[in-house]
Amino acid sequence: MDRREFLKQVALWYAGIMTTAPVFRLVPRAMAGTSASPPSGIIVSKGEDYFKITAAVIEKMGGMGRFVKPGAKVVVKPNIGWDRSPEQAANTHPQVVRALVTLALDAGAASVQVFDRTCNEERRCYQNSGIKPELEKIKDPRVKCEFIDERKFVPVKIEGGKALKEWQFYKDALEADCYINVPVAKHHGLSGLTLGMKNIMGVIGGRRGQIHHDIGRNLADLNTVIRPSLTVVDATRLLLRSGPQGGKIEDVSIRNTVLASTDPVAADAYATTLFGQTPDAITSTVAAFEMGLGEMRLEKCTITEV
Amino acid sequence: MNKKLVFRRARQVCQIFFLALFLFLFRQTDYTGLDTIPYAVNLFFRWDPLAAAAVTLATRTVIPLLLPALAVIGLTLVFGRVFCGWICPLGTLLDGTARVIRPVSRPLRPLRHIKYVILTVVLVSAAFGLQLAGWVDPFSLLVRGMVIAVDPLFNALVTAGFDAVYFHGPGWATAVSEPVYDAFKSFILPYKQSLFIWPAVSLVMLAGVFALELLGRRFWCRNLCPLGAMLALVSRFSFFRRKPLLACKNCEACHHECRMSAFDDDRRMMAEECNLCLDCLEFCPKQITTFRFTPPVNRAPVDVTRRHLIGAGLTGITLPFLVKIDAVAKDPSRRVLRPPGALAEEDFLKTCVRCGECLKVCIQNALQPVLLEQGLDGVFTPRLVPRLGYCEFNCTLCGQVCPTGALKRLTPAEKHAFVIGRAVFDRNRCLPFASSTPCIVCEEHCPTSEKAIRFDEVVVTGAGGAALTLKRPYVITDLCVGCGICEKVCPLPGPSAVRVYPAGEISSDLYPV
Repeated sequence: MDRREFLKQVALWYAGIMTTAPVFRLVPRAMAGTSASPPSGIIVSKGEDYFKITAAVIEKMGGMGRFVKPGAKVVVKPNIGWDRSPEQAANTHPQVVRALVTLALDAGAASVQVFDRTCNEERRCYQNSGIKPELEKIKDPRVKCEFIDERKFVPVKIEGGKALKEWQFYKDALEADCYINVPVAKHHGLSGLTLGMKNIMGVIGGRRGQIHHDIGRNLADLNTVIRPSLTVVDATRLLLRSGPQGGKIEDVSIRNTVLASTDPVAADAYATTLFGQTPDAITSTVAAFEMGLGEMRLEKCTITEV
Repeated sequence: MNKKLVFRRARQVCQIFFLALFLFLFRQTDYTGLDTIPYAVNLFFRWDPLAAAAVTLATRTVIPLLLPALAVIGLTLVFGRVFCGWICPLGTLLDGTARVIRPVSRPLRPLRHIKYVILTVVLVSAAFGLQLAGWVDPFSLLVRGMVIAVDPLFNALVTAGFDAVYFHGPGWATAVSEPVYDAFKSFILPYKQSLFIWPAVSLVMLAGVFALELLGRRFWCRNLCPLGAMLALVSRFSFFRRKPLLACKNCEACHHECRMSAFDDDRRMMAEECNLCLDCLEFCPKQITTFRFTPPVNRAPVDVTRRHLIGAGLTGITLPFLVKIDAVAKDPSRRVLRPPGALAEEDFLKTCVRCGECLKVCIQNALQPVLLEQGLDGVFTPRLVPRLGYCEFNCTLCGQVCPTGALKRLTPAEKHAFVIGRAVFDRNRCLPFASSTPCIVCEEHCPTSEKAIRFDEVVVTGAGGAALTLKRPYVITDLCVGCGICEKVCPLPGPSAVRVYPAGEISSDLYPV
């Protein structure tokens, strides 16, 4: 084959590949999450060492081995949405994330992915939230704190969705063996508070602003697709005003609290009370409860402090 | 290796070094995890005497940032136009294309005077307040062309190849291609695909410089480059020169081979045209050429006539007035949003050399080149286009890379307070007003710590007749800094229902009442 022929072949192959439309459909499979067995348990821990209290909560739940089997692909999904520092309480605290990642590694995970589709520029968010620098300290190649790869958003049919019938989801989140949701609890102008249900916004594609048009119902629908094995709410610092990104230290209240549940609705319901509100104040909690995604009546939950 | 070849190799190594430095700094013109860029990425503009002269004349101030340009003048005073032959990355790239783009015609009659004409127009215009350096400065042409067209195009082509494998290739192919792609992304490709308005314009301008090689080697450098002209004038006084100063009778080698065409019709060498490439050490059949320190004696006059210069001077005086009488430049409704830290509009236009560094570094790809929106004066200056990308609240990179101080270097606190413009709601389109649909995405994203966008809660009758509680946004104008994130994230299709408009002081001179 001479050079001319070679170039011709390459050009033809390239043209052939390029002119094929990408076809990518994925049928959502049921998440391997443990379904909430009544009564829903909520574990709460308080203390100034956020790594320690996070570990204590998991320990009380039966250890990370209950959720992470050896060789499992784990996703830890914090809120890294904003270009804010840890003190400003707009993102999940890096120590809470690090504790969960460390425990998952110790349980024998094959990989632990940490990502979020950020609102501000992703490199600034990952860096200034403190999460990426903190995870780099672990120095384990199984930890992957990577930016969102736009190619990995795939359309998913939302079976039983009341408001949304289809949306783009992040492939790695869909394919995880164990999905751990780690929201930070904070104020939000539209939904009142942003908690675990809202944190799913970080694994969906498309123009997310449209979710706001009926936010409670939409969030409940989205949460039928990805069912976390475990929800850990970071309430170490609560952003009380000017959420979800805040910026003023005066708006932050230090609570030194981490709570966890296998029931995502119960976790949100309990976290709401930390702001002095009742669970029914948050429309996504109510919508999810009505769809049977979990328990919002705290009197039916067992709350354990460690 | 023979001794003469050593000199050529030394020159080539030097050229490649500076080209590599240029490309390295180009790639470093980006956020790297630090709020401050650790390299002087704008170095090539800061040692550019043309930019320094044009900005100094236009603003009538000495810009300390541009003082390194004196070093290039000093270098030229000693060694002549060695900058053109050994350092300039555009010159190196033109030399590099010599094997691909060969002159198609016999050499044209010399056009060396054009570069002096261009230089005169630029400097005289600058003295009368019109900054034209960005049109013809070699670094502005090169960097802008790379930022706006070449780099995004390169990324798009490479990425399309890897994407094709990713979406259509078999698993084993992806297993090979993705690590290669990651390596490309780490070292060669930009962090992400950037998009600019009308990349073809900048591409054609840059490609034109290369296409001119069809008319002769280093055509741009010999005949058009105003920086070359400036250094040529300085090198009339340089000490390091080629000998002999006269080409030999009956030998046409110097005439035919010199890439800078540095000999006039009377065989006299024009030291100011020589870029010290040292080729003549090799091609001289008699091997009599040498380069040595000698007193600066010039046998030939500068190849430009008084008539050319008078014409150029008059053009230089006229152009600024052509801009002054242009209503487009005075129409307040055509004002664009300037990047944070921008000087007042009039000073900004005089100080900006249209280099494209701020477009390159903008972390949200929010800065775009102005084309004809503001008349001749504004072409290639940066503007913020929030619907394409907003200004990241904590980012101060554009002020750090601006080589002339047209954008000031801001501290984080100054940046947070700097007013780029002010947001205005269009209630006819905004969802909670126009169609009683809950939204408030703008309020969610508003980054000022006391939110500049707030909302009223109102009870309205919903579509089904039932009462509906709605949050309707409004702007606290004094708190708004015009970052434009609200305009960017507004979920409406088409134009945003909240838009940022310029809010700077309106000078009475610019807008006479």
